[in-house]
Amino acid sequence: MSRTWKDLSTFEAFLDDGGIVEVDDDMPDEYRNAVFTFIEMHANSEYMGGLTERDWIPKTPGLRHKMSVLAKTQDEIGHGHLLYMVAADMGIKTRTEMLEDLMAGKSRFHNVFHYKAETWGDQVAIAFLVDAAALASQQAVFKNCSYGPYRRILKRIISEEGFHMRLGEDRMMRIAQGTDTQKEIFQGALDRWFWPALQLFGPDSKPNDVLLKWHIKSERNEVLRDKWVQKFVPMLQSYGFTVPAPDLSYDEETKKWDVGPIDWEPLKKTLAQGGPDSARRIETAKNAWDESAWARDVLDGSKANA
Amino acid sequence: MSEQVTPGLRDFLLSFADDEHFIGQQHTEWIGVAPFLEEDLALASIGQDELGHAAMLYELVLDLDRGPDSDSEATDIEIDRLAYRRTDGEYRSCAFTEYPTTDWAEALVRHWIYDTFEAMRWDLVASSSYQPLANAAVRAGREETFHLRHADALIDTLSTNAEAISRLRTAVDVFLPMVGGLAGVTENEDDLVAAGVISAKSSSLHEPLRAAIAERFGIDHTDLGPTDSKPESELRRDSGRSEHFAPMISRMREVFDLDPTAIW
Repeated sequence: MSRTWKDLSTFEAFLDDGGIVEVDDDMPDEYRNAVFTFIEMHANSEYMGGLTERDWIPKTPGLRHKMSVLAKTQDEIGHGHLLYMVAADMGIKTRTEMLEDLMAGKSRFHNVFHYKAETWGDQVAIAFLVDAAALASQQAVFKNCSYGPYRRILKRIISEEGFHMRLGEDRMMRIAQGTDTQKEIFQGALDRWFWPALQLFGPDSKPNDVLLKWHIKSERNEVLRDKWVQKFVPMLQSYGFTVPAPDLSYDEETKKWDVGPIDWEPLKKTLAQGGPDSARRIETAKNAWDESAWARDVLDGSKANA
Repeated sequence: MSEQVTPGLRDFLLSFADDEHFIGQQHTEWIGVAPFLEEDLALASIGQDELGHAAMLYELVLDLDRGPDSDSEATDIEIDRLAYRRTDGEYRSCAFTEYPTTDWAEALVRHWIYDTFEAMRWDLVASSSYQPLANAAVRAGREETFHLRHADALIDTLSTNAEAISRLRTAVDVFLPMVGGLAGVTENEDDLVAAGVISAKSSSLHEPLRAAIAERFGIDHTDLGPTDSKPESELRRDSGRSEHFAPMISRMREVFDLDPTAIW
């Protein structure tokens, strides 16, 4: 049954009490828009993740290895599919409108999916570092998310992302125990992907971040980013790789790693759709989308008539 | 297994495995650019099944190579060596599975024709006197039903629209000249039939396949073009690879080629 709140502050008190909002509730427009934009970006990112991987799937070295990679990509696109449905149910845009906005460069996705996967090493680095960062962000949302439908979908997404991260870790370990060529390739990928992965968490949260206030996010960006640094810096070093942070330091007292100042310029560029590989990737998706419009028209029409 | 039958069986298994491998590979090229998300998901799933069949069939080849006295199982490294590292002349695939599609109507039509053929091919070995192959047919048969149902459902709906029918028909015309090669024979198939390893030669599937295509796409049988326009000797699986084989295999080997000693 639909619930209503007499004003924003009553609604916020409901959220502060641990209240969970459902799709048919009469939620304030500000909340609806903020949650929708957040889920749309998550959905776009899952889909764009699939497009990032598609450059390398056909080249996966090994038959059973390729099956695992396909299973992972199937999960990512499946997540996009589920998230687009949750977002569409909010009544702001349909799934087709969201996909068309994505292809017109009008909506956002995570910074990491603007970069090109240059080598097979990049593919492994993405599965390992980026999936871990995405998982950490999603776990922090799941922990305390006030929007019920999103929280329930996240539960499933998180369990599958855990498998992906382990697949990435397993492949990274094979490389770490492998030949010099393999190690060189992965180090090159690490040099390219360490910073974008770290920036996936975003700049420090602003004091007035509504996503924190409305219990969509449960943790500040800088806290999540720091946890990732504390886990991955020593792990990469223990496998014999170099963390590409010239000012990297370790504080004996706090027992913490510090990567030094973060250059946020690349992130800002990706937010303006100016990432190094965004245009090509979107163009590939858009051309394919346009070329198969004939099939969609017939198949969607038959659904509409059904 | 008699000594005469083994070389023929090896060749038959390789042609089946290579087709499964390459059709799975072709599906991977469509992930992320299919017309809608559900189709991306379906192709990722079907691609996994086909690659899984390829791995299962390559394992049967490796078991033959090892001989009946060995009880060790094929490793992924051995499977990959067989799947990726033969010389061109040692592959037994055909133009139909080597052909790259950039048009979704072509991808869908090939998916339907291939899965129709694959179901017929598993039927050839369902009662095989070579028990491991009969067992494989049981495992793969269950999945094939779903693949074909998927392609059929799409074609059923698309066949309600004139433009879609015309696009599918154009795609059928692309593949019709290649189905003879798809049903091409491998070495010593007569011996395999005599030994009960396969119930009939691969070439016996050519006409039933053409008839199924004609029925599915509503084409008058006389419009299909001449049957057996090429002699059987030219449709053999050991008669060479198509022009699309070299670019496809080099793309598949790209990472392996960086360092042939590496394990990824």
